[in-house]
Amino acid sequence: MTYLLASEFSQLSLGHFIVLSALLFTVGFVGFLSRRNLIVMFLCTELMFQAAAIAFVAFGRYWFDFTGQVFVIFILTIAAAEAALALALVVLLHRRRGSLNADDWKELCD
Amino acid sequence: MDQLEPYIACIAGAFALYLLLRPGRSGIKVLGTLVGLGTLAWLVAIIHESVPGEVDVVREILFLLFGAITLSAAVRMITHGRPVYSALYFVMVVLSSAGLLLLLEAEFMAFALIIVYAGAILITYMFVLMLAQQASDAEHVEDSPIYDRVSREPGAAVVVGLILAGTLVSSTLVGLKELPPPVLDTVQLHRQGELLEQLPKQFKAAVLEADPSFEWPPVADDNGRLLLWDRSGPYVLAYVDASSPRQVHIDLKHLPSNTQHVGWTLVAEFPASLEVAGVILLLAMFGAVVLARRQIEHGEDELRRHVGLEPLHGDDEDAGGAA
Repeated sequence: MTYLLASEFSQLSLGHFIVLSALLFTVGFVGFLSRRNLIVMFLCTELMFQAAAIAFVAFGRYWFDFTGQVFVIFILTIAAAEAALALALVVLLHRRRGSLNADDWKELCD
Repeated sequence: MDQLEPYIACIAGAFALYLLLRPGRSGIKVLGTLVGLGTLAWLVAIIHESVPGEVDVVREILFLLFGAITLSAAVRMITHGRPVYSALYFVMVVLSSAGLLLLLEAEFMAFALIIVYAGAILITYMFVLMLAQQASDAEHVEDSPIYDRVSREPGAAVVVGLILAGTLVSSTLVGLKELPPPVLDTVQLHRQGELLEQLPKQFKAAVLEADPSFEWPPVADDNGRLLLWDRSGPYVLAYVDASSPRQVHIDLKHLPSNTQHVGWTLVAEFPASLEVAGVILLLAMFGAVVLARRQIEHGEDELRRHVGLEPLHGDDEDAGGAA
């Protein structure tokens, strides 16, 4: 597989991917703020990870530097670790209260 | 690109998101969907105008298609009343953004994303969702608990999101003008060539395909490079006799692939981070096992009796307590 040369590639410019990733991040952020189900809130953080991954790969392609893609591998690692730990915590919380409502744990912030 | 258009599109999108998030009758949701789709079409038009000069139509259409699917699936994910469907829409986001990564020529990351995210992480989410929630009829959103159907402060969340989107978009539009131009074609090819030098087997195969009678290894030039470049592509030097060097040109298709580049960068430049990532995964596994284990408190006497030893505090007292 040969790469497109940078001069051919730049027709579809970096800005499009970055704006798309910004919008995706925003949607994830709004979801995190407005949803009340613990698991869906964690799903929204995964959405933000996804947006960051697109931005990393787009910048990496722009400079033909593979550090961006290597960082996506680390993002995957962190996402997997986070999913395991967060879901274990959610299972624990669900066992205590019998619901996934984040508002049930309001007293934690008092 | 007109200066104000992206921001107005952001505001329209935020309005649509608000309509979709707030609880209400289905008429409002339909209106929100329509506004959202209209905004999406507008964004597509803006992007289409902003693509400069000669356009590779297929790539542009693919980008717009995958981008639209990604965004609309993301919006549907945060507005859907049932968490299991949210997770399924997230799978759709992952699949279409893998398509975007393919457009960016990052094949390895695209498929790793599908396998790891859609295949592993999302399955974990689905397991927990199905463990934690009673399965209700897919057709009746009303059956799901109230906290799934009613969002918390959708107006405030959308305003915060609008500010965030405005900041990100404006900094992107301003910042991209200041950005240095992309990598030169020659630099890109040279970087691929440098990696090819590090892969002796592939390098040798490439040279031998170009000239089966080539006597391995090639000679290095004054800078110690084996692979040299001229106008017609990469070549290696060979001395047939002592005086006259001969050039053997190799084909561009032998340059390393994306996976080779990623692997080389990962192992050669970030070996310590790779080890740390492994440790993080191991610790996360331990943490999950320790957290999710059902903890049952055993008294010491109970344990002693269980293994057939005499309880420390005497039988009578303990039996009375148990009764």
